[in-house]
Amino acid sequence: MLGVDVGGTFTDAVLLADGELRTAKVPTARRQEESVLAAARAVGAGEVERFTHGTTVATNALLERKGARTAFVATDGFEHLLHLRRQDRAHLYRLCEAHPEPVVPLERCFGVRERIGPKGVLAPVELVPGARVVASHEVAPEFREYERASTTAIDAYLGPVVARYLEGLGNACHEAGLPEPLVMRSSGGVASLAEAAAHPSFALVSGPAAGVVGAARLARLEGIENAISLDMGGTSTDVCLVADGEAGRATEREVGGLPLRLPTVDLQTVGAGGGSIVWRDAGGALRVGPESAGAEPGPACYGRGGTRPTVTDANLLLGRLPERIAGGLELDRSIAERAFAGIDPAEAIAVVNAEMLRALRLVSVERGHDPRDFALVAFGGAGPLHACELARELGIGTVLVPAEAGVLSALGLAVGDERRDRVESFVCPLEEAGELPAEGEADLRYAGQSFELTVPLGPDPAAAFHRAHEARYGYADRGRQVELVAVRTAEVTPGPELRLPCAEPLEARGPARIDLEGATCWISPGWVGVRDGTSSTLRLTDVSRKGDESGN
Amino acid sequence: MEIELQLIGAALRSVADEMGAVLIRSAFSANIKERRDCSTALFDRRGRMVAQAEHIPVHLGAMPDAVAAVRAHDPGPADVFILNDPFAGGTHLPDITLVTRTVLGFAVTRAHHADVGGAQPGSLPSDSRRLEEEGVVIPPTRLDDATLDRLVSRMRNPDERRGDLRAQLAAHRLAAARVDELCARRGAARVEAAMDELYAYSERRVRAAIAHLPDGRFEAADRLEPAGGGELEVRAAVTVEGDEIEIDFAGTAPQHEGNLNCPLAVTRSACYFVVRCLTDPDVPASGGAFAPVHVRAPDGCLVNARPPAAVAAGNVETSSRIVDVLFAAFGHAVEVPAQGQGTMNNLTLGNDRFTYYETVGGGQGACPGADGPSGVHVAMSNTLSTPAEALELGYPLRVERHSLRLGSGGRGRHQGGDGVIRELRVLEACRLSLVGERRVRSPQGARGGEPGAPGRNLVNGEELPGKATRDLEPGDVVRVETPGGGGFGPVQSGH
Repeated sequence: MLGVDVGGTFTDAVLLADGELRTAKVPTARRQEESVLAAARAVGAGEVERFTHGTTVATNALLERKGARTAFVATDGFEHLLHLRRQDRAHLYRLCEAHPEPVVPLERCFGVRERIGPKGVLAPVELVPGARVVASHEVAPEFREYERASTTAIDAYLGPVVARYLEGLGNACHEAGLPEPLVMRSSGGVASLAEAAAHPSFALVSGPAAGVVGAARLARLEGIENAISLDMGGTSTDVCLVADGEAGRATEREVGGLPLRLPTVDLQTVGAGGGSIVWRDAGGALRVGPESAGAEPGPACYGRGGTRPTVTDANLLLGRLPERIAGGLELDRSIAERAFAGIDPAEAIAVVNAEMLRALRLVSVERGHDPRDFALVAFGGAGPLHACELARELGIGTVLVPAEAGVLSALGLAVGDERRDRVESFVCPLEEAGELPAEGEADLRYAGQSFELTVPLGPDPAAAFHRAHEARYGYADRGRQVELVAVRTAEVTPGPELRLPCAEPLEARGPARIDLEGATCWISPGWVGVRDGTSSTLRLTDVSRKGDESGN
Repeated sequence: MEIELQLIGAALRSVADEMGAVLIRSAFSANIKERRDCSTALFDRRGRMVAQAEHIPVHLGAMPDAVAAVRAHDPGPADVFILNDPFAGGTHLPDITLVTRTVLGFAVTRAHHADVGGAQPGSLPSDSRRLEEEGVVIPPTRLDDATLDRLVSRMRNPDERRGDLRAQLAAHRLAAARVDELCARRGAARVEAAMDELYAYSERRVRAAIAHLPDGRFEAADRLEPAGGGELEVRAAVTVEGDEIEIDFAGTAPQHEGNLNCPLAVTRSACYFVVRCLTDPDVPASGGAFAPVHVRAPDGCLVNARPPAAVAAGNVETSSRIVDVLFAAFGHAVEVPAQGQGTMNNLTLGNDRFTYYETVGGGQGACPGADGPSGVHVAMSNTLSTPAEALELGYPLRVERHSLRLGSGGRGRHQGGDGVIRELRVLEACRLSLVGERRVRSPQGARGGEPGAPGRNLVNGEELPGKATRDLEPGDVVRVETPGGGGFGPVQSGH
């Protein structure tokens, strides 16, 4: 099994064969298909049964506005929908701050005489054939016209670009003797190349979703079904809750400031990572990010001309990073010291941790989950540096750090399930909905509310909804009518089994530093890290919690 | 700043945000759930606001009065207080405020309810003359089940009202639990110190920014368009001295027979809004941000009204005009944006079976360095539009048009934003109430920019005044064309 994940700076490959694991990292080229094949070669991919790909082609085309020339056609009177948005301004107090431009300019937005009401067609429409047409019901068959229109326009805008890329990649793979690649979608499920090319908007958070899948599968291998993934890279950090072995899912997400009404893993993204700049604001508060030193010049200690302090510099000064990191890069402590003149690096770490804590609480506490029932899976280049302190703040007693922390997204690709999501809109009282599928999920709300909670279908979805409402909002109103808004089902073909090689046994008592491939793990005082020889994962346990049953 | 206090402060701000999320997501009124016309906040023991989740600016400075009004009743640890009296801690009657205690102070939620039992369905009559006509007036009152039943039974859709109030209560329970957790982890004394620091931090930032404004006294005036014709003047003198600002409304028209009157709390919110736009737009919302701003208005004037004045439109319309006047005054000292649409275009439709209220965005005035955005709320509001598909599912209404009003923004070096055209067809007989401003006087340009187009209201193509009430038959179409924003700087040749 081969997984290749394209990131901004590096392209990672993971090859799993007969319980053996090989990994490779190559620089990302301007033409992504070249990096994909280079990474596959670097990892020594020969006889491959399944090849799964995580791509940023769609995301880059959207963020850089390099999609196709697209027109937007809507019911007459609603042709400006993409430009009207929901009428809120971009910033409450900066009055002329602009929203991100819609992907279709005003002059290519058209109205046609046609109308659908809540009960069906009022006036039909006929479309002229000849163009690549994406209809909103194909991608986001759900009510709320702006969000649906935005999703549809983005899908159409990305279509030709992504289809061209995937077609080229498919051909190149064929020539290289590799199977046709599968593509990871934002939902954490894998789709065929043809499906991915037909609707590229489903793959806009491909790589981060693969990371969550990797974290969930790795935790399961360690016997843990409830986990929170913490993927901290150079410029941002993604966290996601995994309950009963399944990544939490959301039905809407913003990418580049534009809403997408599509199934995605329920990721919270924080604009802070290892390269984030540390600064002091006008009120005297220490701040971290969103500005980042990026890959160039990178943190000050990289010695490539960066002079401003970053999170990575703080970690170096606190002795949590080696003088020489993966890839052979020497870190220069004296430059980091100069950058941190007058700022305590421990305080910078506390501030960036507070940002991540906010996201971790959002996916757990604020969704009605007690984080103490979860383990933290830390990965990405910087995740394992911050994990112990974050876990302690949340009362989490176990942290898992995979040996593959630097390439966990590629690992998630290699073993991800195939998945096709379907959604059917209802908007009617639950008891009038007729027979529902036995498996899947329902979006339910009290009649009159606007936000739904997604609960598992089963013998009694209403009861599940009342419980979920109580957990989330602190009350349930069992006398009130429950309304079914949508039914979500997924056709899932389980991915291959994950088998990882074992690593040498190891035990370390914090404070201690463990160097991994592509990442560094910091074990805080009061924590013990153990690798027991039955897997490659380092399990960190908070031993200071003994006798403190409350976990506070 | 001491790092631990900064971190606890961030956690306190998260509590206010989470309260807001719970309220919006579990509410029933379109105003709250779709349009986010609500705010949530934490206060310290002294009644100072330390953290607020702001969704709309008009709630910005108006919440401390609610806490002060409740503190006068000596609230117990388990008490829930409810109020909406504009002359005792409220703003206008549809904004229902709940206040409870936390172990370290108070939690407050304020939400705009779809109906509070006024003479007309909905919350914004165009022609009320006394507060009592606008709905049930609730002075600070202890809320128990019996009181709640009694109050909602006097409003339309009591079941929806009860649902919204339960959503507000859920936010209060959450606040109490979260503050308890924080105290258990960090110690109450540290959390209290962090509250002081949140207040002080915002104050430092705003004072530093005010110090950069030129000192001096700057005056401006503008007019409102009351129902039945005539004009009402709003006049302000702004004095900047060092790191403080004084705003005096002496010379403003006396309170009037209609409902454009404002309680002082609303006037203060408008003042704080302008100061924030011109000083430190990113400062975390706390009472400290407004400590350097002093607002004075003569008793009984339009912007410091006394009972029994009707106030329904003061909150939405007069507040918008105060913003225009203050920007004009500050414009003598620094560059300010051209005028935006200057109204919220309040549209209410309802009968005994349903009540629907919305406000419509328009053109923002152009800024010194940028075009004004089109189709947005420009000043004291930032509520979302209700999706046509949500509206049509919930009400006997059909949206016939929702588009930009192209060409309505004033021209200039930077273009004013365009207004919006919104057409609603009613499918059953109901009553329409429209409250709009800038139907006669255009939003003005700045530094030679051209004015935006004034707004229009029409029913079946027939022009109505800015403030109108009328009965509609099934099939009638209401059309609102909202004003465009003014341009900034002279039009440059070649454009």
